[in-house]
Amino acid sequence: MKMEKEKAVATVASKAAELPLLELRGISKTFGHVQALKGVDCCIYPGEVVGLVGDNGAGKSTLMKIIAGVYKPDAGTIWVDGSLVTIRTPLDAMALGIAIVYQNLALVDQRDVVANIFLGRELVRGLVLDNDRMLKESAQVLQELGIEIPSLSAEVGILSGGQRQAIAITRAMHHGERKRLVIMDEPVAALGVNESRKVLRLIKHLKGQGCTLIVISHNMEHVFSVADRIMVLRRGRLVGVRHRAETTTIDIVRLIVGAEHL
Amino acid sequence: MDRDNMDQKKRRLAVRNIFLKREISILGAAVLLFFGLSLATPHFLRIDNLLLVARQISILAIIAIGMTFLFIAREIDLSVGSMYGFLVVVLAFLISRTTLDPWVAMGVVIIAGASLGLLNGLLTTLFGMPSFIVTLGMLSILRGSSLLLTGGWPIIIRTSEDHSFLNFTAGYAGGVVPTQIFWMISLMLIGGFFLGKTRFGAHVYATGGNEEAARLSGIPVKRVKTVCFMITGALCGIAAALLLGQVRSGFPLTGAGFELDIIAAVVIGGTPLFGGRGSILGTLLGASITGMITNGLVLLGASAYFEPVAKGSIIIIAVLINTLTRRKYA
Repeated sequence: MKMEKEKAVATVASKAAELPLLELRGISKTFGHVQALKGVDCCIYPGEVVGLVGDNGAGKSTLMKIIAGVYKPDAGTIWVDGSLVTIRTPLDAMALGIAIVYQNLALVDQRDVVANIFLGRELVRGLVLDNDRMLKESAQVLQELGIEIPSLSAEVGILSGGQRQAIAITRAMHHGERKRLVIMDEPVAALGVNESRKVLRLIKHLKGQGCTLIVISHNMEHVFSVADRIMVLRRGRLVGVRHRAETTTIDIVRLIVGAEHL
Repeated sequence: MDRDNMDQKKRRLAVRNIFLKREISILGAAVLLFFGLSLATPHFLRIDNLLLVARQISILAIIAIGMTFLFIAREIDLSVGSMYGFLVVVLAFLISRTTLDPWVAMGVVIIAGASLGLLNGLLTTLFGMPSFIVTLGMLSILRGSSLLLTGGWPIIIRTSEDHSFLNFTAGYAGGVVPTQIFWMISLMLIGGFFLGKTRFGAHVYATGGNEEAARLSGIPVKRVKTVCFMITGALCGIAAALLLGQVRSGFPLTGAGFELDIIAAVVIGGTPLFGGRGSILGTLLGASITGMITNGLVLLGASAYFEPVAKGSIIIIAVLINTLTRRKYA
């Protein structure tokens, strides 16, 4: 117990010296009358898994969509590897090495596994689609990630929830060069126990490979099983950042709902 | 244990994939119809009849190529019949009332068709209006424009008999095979290539299958849809030229109701209205089936009024079969 505490303190110290992979300063976003985000400041360091938690409407998805280029912030700046960047579209985010796996997976059910993995960035040889290369690379990445899909030419619409999630994650991981940051919005929300375990195992595998991940979840058990640090949003504000080793479920829940309610 | 499971799954998926090769079942239907008609009447299998059927299918199939792209992208163009008619009239006008060479005039008309398609596409994508409504309005506008341009009378072209334009659009290769078939086959091959083997084609399928997912992946969905509308418009222009070469006059009511035949060919060919699925080959088979039905009804001496009843019934049956087989494997 004492060793863990010492380790955590040491981590904080070393993290302070490290350059953050991603830094948000003063990010705000308003939709009509609702201010979804109010001046959020945070840092994400390379190689860590950050669990982003908060109640419904706290602003978790909005914040991630801003990083992924789907929304533009009304105020605030984004810094990647210490340099100021502007992310206006999903393509800008992709170019920066940021990938996001959406809650609804954003898969095309009628298309097969390979087509979905390469959605939007299909490989070509001149004018023609290079199906052989796409098939080979898909099989390779799926194998590296330890995912089992019976047939790569199957339409993703008939696959199980866990398999679909795995394909969505594979797509995010395989966008060209090494991914800097992968964001997952409620990766196991719609899955049963078995499938959840498989996806969490995949997340740990990615972590083992040195990927930086942000995982949005409202399941405390899952968050505590994969996250290094936990960030809590409440009503658009970042109300707490904790190292997993230094905190408890109760502590986090208190931050989510506001301590006065407990 | 896990491997057995995988093999079983693999086998099931393989079988499913074959059945879902809807082109096979539609090909089966087309073949059945072919044999049925051959048995029902001796006139069907005559070479001159088969070539006539092929010629009739050609113009329909050419426009249906564009409609296939649109359906896969989950859009529709109800104005194709009127656009085709309008372009026939415009082409006749250009050839007979201006000094333009017929081939140049055809080029102009193809560009005009693409421009009308561009208009359809922009109205649909920029303003978020349903393509059903936009093209329904265009249907009326273009029909009215044809009538305005002609004053209700056909425009007759008086191109000399041996002009290459007449020969290449409506002549007979080797004196036997209608050139329209070559136009149809070439355009289908080109269309099939772009749809099935290029990145653009993959984007069309993605846009229709899940537009949101496509957009989030960086696919320019508005541009993809607009290009599909433009392809359709250009194909209407080509079809217009082929017809004009054949009948030598621009009749203002050309193509009235044609949009239904085109839609029928596409859906019978297995392309659903819901986007994400379909093929040019399927459309070719669908056009063949509708062409054979029309031909068969004439040869069998059925009343002309029976044709729309037959066509409408076939559409419903074809889509019903498609829907049921899909649901079984869902």
